[in-house]
Amino acid sequence: MERFELIVIGAGPAGLSAAIEAASCGMSVIVFDENTRPGGQLFKQIHKFFGSKEHKAKERGFNIGKNLLNEAEELGVRVELDSTVMGIFRNKEISVMKNDSVKHFKGNSIVIATGASENMVPFKGWTLPGVIGAGAAQTMMNIHGIKPGNRVLMVGSGNVGLVVGYQLIQAGCILEAIIDAAPRVGGYGVHAAKLARIGVPFYMSHTIKLAQGIDRVEGAIIVEVDKSWKPVSGSEKTLEVDTICIAVGLSPMSQLVRLAGCKTLDDPKKGGIVPLCNEYGETSISGIYAAGDVAGIEEASSAMIQGKIAGAAASKDQGYISEDEFKARQKKLENSLLQLREGMFGHKSTAQVTHTDEGYELSHSLLKKGYISDTELSHYPGIPTEDDLKDGLVPVIECTQNIPCNPCQDACPKGCIKVGDNITNLPSIETSVKCSGCGMCVVSCSGQAIFLVKQNHSPGYGLVSLPYEFSPLPDVGDIGYALDRLGNVVSKAEVISIKKTPVMDETAVLTMKVPSNLTMKARFFKPAMKEEKII
Amino acid sequence: MSKIIGRALKKDDFVEMPDDHIIICRCEEITKGEIRRAIYEGMYTMNEIKRYLRVGMGLCQGQTCNKLVKAIVAKELGLDMKDIEIPIPRSPARPIAMKAYADDGYMR
Repeated sequence: MERFELIVIGAGPAGLSAAIEAASCGMSVIVFDENTRPGGQLFKQIHKFFGSKEHKAKERGFNIGKNLLNEAEELGVRVELDSTVMGIFRNKEISVMKNDSVKHFKGNSIVIATGASENMVPFKGWTLPGVIGAGAAQTMMNIHGIKPGNRVLMVGSGNVGLVVGYQLIQAGCILEAIIDAAPRVGGYGVHAAKLARIGVPFYMSHTIKLAQGIDRVEGAIIVEVDKSWKPVSGSEKTLEVDTICIAVGLSPMSQLVRLAGCKTLDDPKKGGIVPLCNEYGETSISGIYAAGDVAGIEEASSAMIQGKIAGAAASKDQGYISEDEFKARQKKLENSLLQLREGMFGHKSTAQVTHTDEGYELSHSLLKKGYISDTELSHYPGIPTEDDLKDGLVPVIECTQNIPCNPCQDACPKGCIKVGDNITNLPSIETSVKCSGCGMCVVSCSGQAIFLVKQNHSPGYGLVSLPYEFSPLPDVGDIGYALDRLGNVVSKAEVISIKKTPVMDETAVLTMKVPSNLTMKARFFKPAMKEEKII
Repeated sequence: MSKIIGRALKKDDFVEMPDDHIIICRCEEITKGEIRRAIYEGMYTMNEIKRYLRVGMGLCQGQTCNKLVKAIVAKELGLDMKDIEIPIPRSPARPIAMKAYADDGYMR
């Protein structure tokens, strides 16, 4: 038996943050994780995060993970990997399996940060090889470097489905379709738009009927569902896919919470069975805290803050920080957490949102098909007017939903972009300030929704600069296709410049030349196949 | 057992459904039909069904199938999902080799 002032179960964003906070107050902390690598899901998250600077916005998940680990190490936190917590007993004792033996530990306080697991949906053929969770696909690609399949169907249009769908394409897969039984795209519109402009079709109000194949997936049949979720007969479509990714939500891993005897409740909005917690994340058992997805499904940014609050609370319980010091820390963290929960995707909003906080009508085609239609586009404050476009280079910010994010505002050295104090505000452009064309806003936007447009570059031609995250990177002078927001080829395009510097963090700014009248339509560059002749 | 589950439970005959062959618990390979039949045979709670069929006693310890089984029970018994309790978790919360259990360093 060994005793620690704080035991943390789970070395993900919540657990590590709790450990760091507590250790920085002077506590002796041990963290257990059953995986070989620490960091929870962070190390497979290669996309840039949302939020504001203090939420580590525009940093990529795996880099956030690395920094958390370094910080924990510097503070002397002991991280035990390959260590499965099997039981949690009275008086805060836990049993841990490691290397085929069982050891017991006691903590003055315990933070349970066990995260979540993927939901599954049963259909005919769902146990065939080739049906995998979207998270599993992400692990295969980003941890093990393995391509999960060639032609993929993504079931679920929440952020997980959208983000992993994009990564599948980056890995070289063809994403045949994204389907969702709900009538609207569940995740951020900007994530959906990234896929639509590459040509991924969105089928909302569609569910999977069956997976074809004898000993592996050889196809999928999808079917439309009506308002009462009943399949519409005759609406079946067959998709030739070898992989079906399931991204239909997450469930908190609450076994240890329940084993400990904490009071729980079944809250569908939080993803299932979660511990009843007070505002500091303390469960019904004094000294046992829950933080991160186990306390209710959110995302890594809020998990980190919840972890910090729990770590600070445990430090206060044991006298490492004063009541006042704790209150001050907690208040700051709480505000930061509230910011993330604002906006139309925040977990407080229940109603079907139809307008942004500013009163703009939401793009229907974005919610239905994943792209903003030409007619809807001009409504939003980030879109330049016809007159603005005549003036020369302007940023075009296709950010049309209230999501908590503001790196674009700080990215512009000229101050062309304004979000304001409320980080869920839609960004607006200040066209009286001349855009220098540096492209920092383009790469800072985690949703890849910012473009630079110059309508008149040479007679009849204009320029479009866009974020580009595919390899191989095209060369200057390459000729390819310009795709519009729904992925249709609208013209041929020539790569005029490629900008990629370390500060851009792997996102390149690709500038292509397209006919002037298409500068507000063309949003993606598709390289031509080798030896393909472009007319 | 939930207070809602009283006398008015399933007493009609079991009727096979076209999707009864679908596996619900992957670890123990239990089908939807087997779970439905168990309910008709008098297993009304998820704990009873677990002991009767081994649903949720495999590798994932119910983390994947609990929600799916719950939906089936809710539908068959006409209950609200939130009124159905999932099986009580027990240590070990994860599958463990017996040799590891035999080497319990409690006193060390």
